[in-house]
Amino acid sequence: MTLASPALALPPVRSGFFASLAPGGAKVLFALATIAVAFLFAFPVLWLLLTSLRPESGVYYVHRGTEFTWHNYVEVLQQENILKAFFNSFAISTLATILSLGVTVTSGYMLSRFRGPIPNGWFSVIYVLRCVPYISWVLPLFFVTRQWGIFDTYWGLLLPHVAVHICFFSWIMKGFFDGIDPSMEYAALIDGCTRWGAFFRVALPSAIPGMTALAILCWLYTWNEFLFALMLTAHKTPILTVVMAQFVHELGMEWHLMSATAMMALVPALIVTIFGQKYVIRGLRV
Amino acid sequence: MTIPVADLADPPKPPMFGERQRFMLLLIAPAVVALIFFQIVPILTGANASFRDWSLHDPKYTWVGLKHYWYVLSDPGFVWTVMPNTLVFMAVSVAVSLVFGLGLALILNRQFAGRAVLQTILLLPLMVAPVVAAIMIRWMFNDQFGIVNVVFEALGLPQQPWLAQRWTAFGVILVADIWLWTPWFALLLLAGLQSLPKEPFEAAAIDGASRWRVFRYLTLPMLRSVMVVCIVIRGIDAFRTFDIVWTISAGGPARSTELFSIYAYIEAFQAMNFARGSAAAIIGAIIIVVLAMVVFRLLNRWMEVSK
Repeated sequence: MTLASPALALPPVRSGFFASLAPGGAKVLFALATIAVAFLFAFPVLWLLLTSLRPESGVYYVHRGTEFTWHNYVEVLQQENILKAFFNSFAISTLATILSLGVTVTSGYMLSRFRGPIPNGWFSVIYVLRCVPYISWVLPLFFVTRQWGIFDTYWGLLLPHVAVHICFFSWIMKGFFDGIDPSMEYAALIDGCTRWGAFFRVALPSAIPGMTALAILCWLYTWNEFLFALMLTAHKTPILTVVMAQFVHELGMEWHLMSATAMMALVPALIVTIFGQKYVIRGLRV
Repeated sequence: MTIPVADLADPPKPPMFGERQRFMLLLIAPAVVALIFFQIVPILTGANASFRDWSLHDPKYTWVGLKHYWYVLSDPGFVWTVMPNTLVFMAVSVAVSLVFGLGLALILNRQFAGRAVLQTILLLPLMVAPVVAAIMIRWMFNDQFGIVNVVFEALGLPQQPWLAQRWTAFGVILVADIWLWTPWFALLLLAGLQSLPKEPFEAAAIDGASRWRVFRYLTLPMLRSVMVVCIVIRGIDAFRTFDIVWTISAGGPARSTELFSIYAYIEAFQAMNFARGSAAAIIGAIIIVVLAMVVFRLLNRWMEVSK
């Protein structure tokens, strides 16, 4: 199965090829191409859903079975480790979102409102650190967090996650503040507000819509993150993505349980996709 | 759309380290502290470890100089498999996602029934965990029960043991990555398309330019800066891909689909030589940081030229 080229073929070929078709032909082809694209992108998720609803023996012929069952979900939810992993992932994502946004909103404000050596230096630091591959600092973090006694705890995963987000989010936050007219802050300063007052009472409230979007994305990034969770947690603090990856390697054959777990891990993504679209699209604009 | 930003109420003669500088530093202080403790200290620890005898089962911590760097740089696996894999992965993944993403952006930029549905479907891969995506793809390409082989059989094509051969496994990883990232390109390019001025397109329509010429000589050049930014960001991220490869093939079969991150991880935690893994990680970091700085310089110059 390839992510075939209907989408790709459309624009270049259009002038010559479509002109030769009957007037309605172009429309039909366009509709077919669109449907094919939608199908290709939705298919893996649909297939996972279908697999997760089949009984244990049914996963070997998913494409022609007719029995369906909720049993896989029930069985997964009875495993204590998975329940714990769900809870931990949820807690870490939520806490990491709060901390990351709190730390980066001031940093982004600084980058947006000031000029000079300090902002320039900070920007270069952020750019370089963002390019450093995760593996280069997550390997030693394994030892560093052990030494500090926070390995396999919430803090030991939470704080590195905040560090991961700082570089990129500072940049995005700068974008939000760039789009907000600073003249209100001048007015506040002239009226005797302190710099902090101008930031908290004037700038921050106008950045709320952008921050909401970023909060949703940040929550999902953390929920989906794998490498840091793999390296920095063990049995005490199971994290959902790690538990799922272990599933694949250790219990490779239990595809019915596997897909039920993966489906449940997908729920936040589905909710955001359906209800939070507007925010996500806003947050993605780099 | 950005509003020119002036400094907040400059004092008449700014002192070297006045109230304004203190405010700036306080604003970034929490971020700086977090970065120092959880990024810079680990990077330095790793750099230090890469010069020492630091295996996981029997660490002696003695200084061995560049030994691990020579080992990695003369390891045929690293030079002839891992680095080519990483660079090919970067190039193919970014190029294909960009082309598909551009096609999708052009589709989404038109008005048609079902546009909202298509956009919702395209958002989904962006939200899905790479691990979950890898699991789905792995299951679809399962050699015995996967739907892909079922389809192949129905079409009369030879079934493949997808994950047991180097190039098919690499292809499966690429498919997963392209599935994950095409929508990202599509949405950013769509935003770019929607912010383009209308007038040149109207002028072209009046002149009777064909759609292909409009695309080639108007849309593409005007989208260039958005495309370059997307390519740079995604390229840097593609270089460090870990999770989908780990979940789909774990670098196998026989370490033939390893990317650079997987190599460092396997050397450090499966070959139990933390120093060697760190050396590999540092080499990779140097490569990508140098590349990123060169690109940044080029971009700066090129963007100025184009203005």
